[in-house]
Amino acid sequence: MATTPRSGGSGSGAAQRPNGTSQNKSCQFKLVLLGESAVGKSSLVLRFVKGQFHEYQESTIGAAFLTQTICIEDTVVKFEIWDTAGQERYHSLAPMYYRGAQAAIVVYDIQNQDSFQRAKTWVKELHKQASPNIVIALAGNKADLSNIRVVEFDEAKQYAEENGLLFMETSAKTGMNVNDIFLAIAKKLPKNDNNQGSVIKPNGNEPTQTTNNCCK
Amino acid sequence: MANATAATNTGTSASAVNNSNKLETRRLCALTFFAKLHPGDVCGSNGLPLTPNSIAILGRSQRLKQLQHANLCQYLDVVRGKHERTIVVSEYVGHTLEEHVKRHANTPLSNTQLLRIFYQVAKALDVLHAHKLVVHNLEPRHILIEQQQQLEQVKLFNYGLHHMTKGGAYVPFPLGNVRYMAPERLLGANGSIKSDVWSWGMLLLEQLLHVELWPRLKLSNIAWKLLAFVRSNSSSGGGALVLEKIAREHQRWEMYQELPHELRHLLERCLSVLPAQRPLPSELLQHKCFADAAEMLQVASEHQQLEQLPLLLRCPLAQIYHLWQLAGGDVQAELKKEGLIRSEAPILALPQIVRLSGSSVCPPRSQSYLMDERIVLLKLQPLLQRLSRLPASVYFPLLQSQPRRQQQQQQQQDLQQQLPLLIRERDIEYQFRRVRLFTRLLHGFPHTADQLQREAAIDIPPLLRGPVWAALLGVLPNASYAKIDKFTATTTDRQIEVDIPRCHQYDELLSSPDGHRKLKRLLKAWVTAHPQYVYWQGLDSLTAPFLYLNFNNEELAFLSLFRFIPKYLQWFFLKDNSAIIKEYLSKFSQLSAFHEPLLAQHLSSINFIPELFAIPWFLTMFSHVFPLHKILHLWDKLMLGDSSYPLFIGIAILKQLKSTLLSSGFNECILLFSDLPDIVMENCVIESQKMYECTPKSITHRQHALRTQAPHVLDIGLAEVELQHLQSEQCPRISAKDVYQLLQQAPNELALIDLRSVVEYSRVHVPHSINIPFATVLLGEQRLEALNVPYLEAQLRGRIVVCVSNIHQHAVEFSHFLVACGVLRTCILHKGFNVLHSIEPNILISN
Repeated sequence: MATTPRSGGSGSGAAQRPNGTSQNKSCQFKLVLLGESAVGKSSLVLRFVKGQFHEYQESTIGAAFLTQTICIEDTVVKFEIWDTAGQERYHSLAPMYYRGAQAAIVVYDIQNQDSFQRAKTWVKELHKQASPNIVIALAGNKADLSNIRVVEFDEAKQYAEENGLLFMETSAKTGMNVNDIFLAIAKKLPKNDNNQGSVIKPNGNEPTQTTNNCCK
Repeated sequence: MANATAATNTGTSASAVNNSNKLETRRLCALTFFAKLHPGDVCGSNGLPLTPNSIAILGRSQRLKQLQHANLCQYLDVVRGKHERTIVVSEYVGHTLEEHVKRHANTPLSNTQLLRIFYQVAKALDVLHAHKLVVHNLEPRHILIEQQQQLEQVKLFNYGLHHMTKGGAYVPFPLGNVRYMAPERLLGANGSIKSDVWSWGMLLLEQLLHVELWPRLKLSNIAWKLLAFVRSNSSSGGGALVLEKIAREHQRWEMYQELPHELRHLLERCLSVLPAQRPLPSELLQHKCFADAAEMLQVASEHQQLEQLPLLLRCPLAQIYHLWQLAGGDVQAELKKEGLIRSEAPILALPQIVRLSGSSVCPPRSQSYLMDERIVLLKLQPLLQRLSRLPASVYFPLLQSQPRRQQQQQQQQDLQQQLPLLIRERDIEYQFRRVRLFTRLLHGFPHTADQLQREAAIDIPPLLRGPVWAALLGVLPNASYAKIDKFTATTTDRQIEVDIPRCHQYDELLSSPDGHRKLKRLLKAWVTAHPQYVYWQGLDSLTAPFLYLNFNNEELAFLSLFRFIPKYLQWFFLKDNSAIIKEYLSKFSQLSAFHEPLLAQHLSSINFIPELFAIPWFLTMFSHVFPLHKILHLWDKLMLGDSSYPLFIGIAILKQLKSTLLSSGFNECILLFSDLPDIVMENCVIESQKMYECTPKSITHRQHALRTQAPHVLDIGLAEVELQHLQSEQCPRISAKDVYQLLQQAPNELALIDLRSVVEYSRVHVPHSINIPFATVLLGEQRLEALNVPYLEAQLRGRIVVCVSNIHQHAVEFSHFLVACGVLRTCILHKGFNVLHSIEPNILISN
């Protein structure tokens, strides 16, 4: 699959409020979720974007796309989120989504050791293949089931530190740390006007829009 | 048949009255109970909430519907109500053994009569034993007797409670009547047919002695008595001791001793304290005592004449129940009417105290939540009246009838077919005709395959959808499913296990533990049966509709899937399927440009490529993106088309969202598809059908599609169009064969644009083709008028536009220009003008 869905061009710039009184910076980031299947990638996004949780969240085939806008200080940050399929077979599609992404959340399930190993391989692949400045967060999901955990918090934390990743244990079910992890990523992302040159802009895209519809 | 013709006359009321006493013989009834509630907010080991017990019951009970035997009341349906209520719909005949005895109070039943009754009960036990089922609630209320002439026809009732509640684990009440319970069951043993043999023996003893056992004892005292048998048991002759005790206790010792020796011996064996010493039901049937009974019943069954039942009641019970529901029958309403379901103000059930731990103190549950063993008969009279004016020929439709009558029927059906599908599906008379017709067609399959196909094109009755689909797919059950290994652990097991609890779980059947087990078996079987393929996520969704429709017939579900995949998804489940998917999606783009040029242009201009949204559509044939009830209607039509049909469904979806898509950018488009809006399925089906029918076959040519015969010389050859061509050409190619066919059969639907030079054109050309020499045109402006060909737009409108040249690139570029101008149905002649020379007989005009 040679095509790039659409780079998350970090369009940024000053957006004029209708009344023209204050100016907010706004930027867009492309974020991709990766991880073993059934660890809760779609659930994390659903919690973050819609505040919902479905016990029987359907599996993702191919990928799903959602957006969410948040505000940090005086900046409006719009996430364009690609939620990918977890099954190993869909791996060949993954580069299409993480290429040009400025951020990635690699998710594992704290009850499942294999999913943690899989997360490590994803991190390796991202370091090798994705844009060099990509911000990677590691999310140990299903933290509400910590009484039957298999992957220890400290083990994951140490791994994250060694590899320069943000790390949190999250629970899409209770909402624990879900917004926080996205916020932490947003804070870490550079919000200057001209983003790194590594971003590929596919041709034929309409000029990046600026969003300014929250923080009023 | 005399009766049948009487029913066809208009004076039906008389015959209905005549039949009313007969009606009692075939009835449906409902009974209800509550499943055990799970305490509070508990999760299973996988982190998901525990499946409600009523759903588990629903799943387990499906199997019972399959049991059909002369001595068993057939199960028809299980319905979930509010608050874990379960309602069971079952056949009901005659009256209970209890009532039967009361009716004969003056002339007690003779031993011969009793043996005839209990022989049939033993037969029922034997059948259940063969299905690895036990009853455990055998008692006089569950033995139904219908007097037929001199003989008693016996049917066992409510025998499936043990199975559907997993031995009672899913319900808060104990199963069975203590009075007839084997001692080992009081000690906790569960699930042995030998316990039923004890109950059978106790029931028979009670009848033979003409007493009611322990009529005035409390339950606990009866239990003590039974347990006392265990204590007093000596290693041999336990049964004799038990019998003596019981008989003496009820002052029937002499009476007992007068019974034939063989019968006493049989009872002694049945009432042995050790289950191992009791006979199996099959041994009961062989016992000498029953020789006469067996013979009489055998003779009776051989001489059984056709029952004089109304025609409707001779249909399979499942069909009757289905019609009863269509006629407005509502089990819950019937139960409410009889006071078996009582609703109470929810506020009365609010907890009084909620502890921080989550547990709460509630007011005691009201009486209405307790087990109520009454049954409610469902009235069939309104249904009979509703259908009384249908002629007998509807019950037995002639498949090869005379043309005139067929015409009449046709007219009548045409009228009904103008109604929307959803209304037809709820029209009782229409459904009745369809169900009868399809039942016949299915009986005649595969010889009726063509007719079945024609009728299915009109619509498919929901009741028979599973078998009809299987027939449309050409499935002929061959017992191969049983031979496939579905149990050996494989590497895909984990993936299958995490996918199943997420697959169409809003559906009660698919979310039940039985549904999960069945889906897992089907998927594992499919993977085992196809070593060349692997499990891709999505295969679960694809399998779900077949399981849903054939829940009780895994083999049919499996074989349907087995035939469905090569037909529509050939090679899609290869480990590396990228070439197949790429080709498929490229063809999808081409067909979009063919039918919706402007939309296709817009989508490609914003880089909204099918790879981003259409993989789950096609990989699962839309079963991952739509709920089951929509998939059923979609697939009803899909089954009739070939492997290209799904592509048109995809375009129909785009078409339905056209205005939104045209006014949206990339983000809005992709968001729209991530959360697919409500698609009106009926329109989608009609649109896709239209496009499918007006598209020449070669337009949809794919190298990887399943082929049943070798391509024609003038067809597009197997590997003649490479992926790079597909991807670089916006317009599909058409074969010379299809062009020839159009020229011969529908020249008005074809516009041939000849791009060769004027000189070449004047030398030889296709009659009525339009000559636009490629070298002379400027394609910079995207307007047809820029070509300066008079009335071009009118000449192309509504036709299939074929670009023909000797230089392929010219045709490609010109076709792109036409798409940009919004010209519908543009395609390119495969192999260019020269291929037309090879058509026999000649179609060209030369000067």
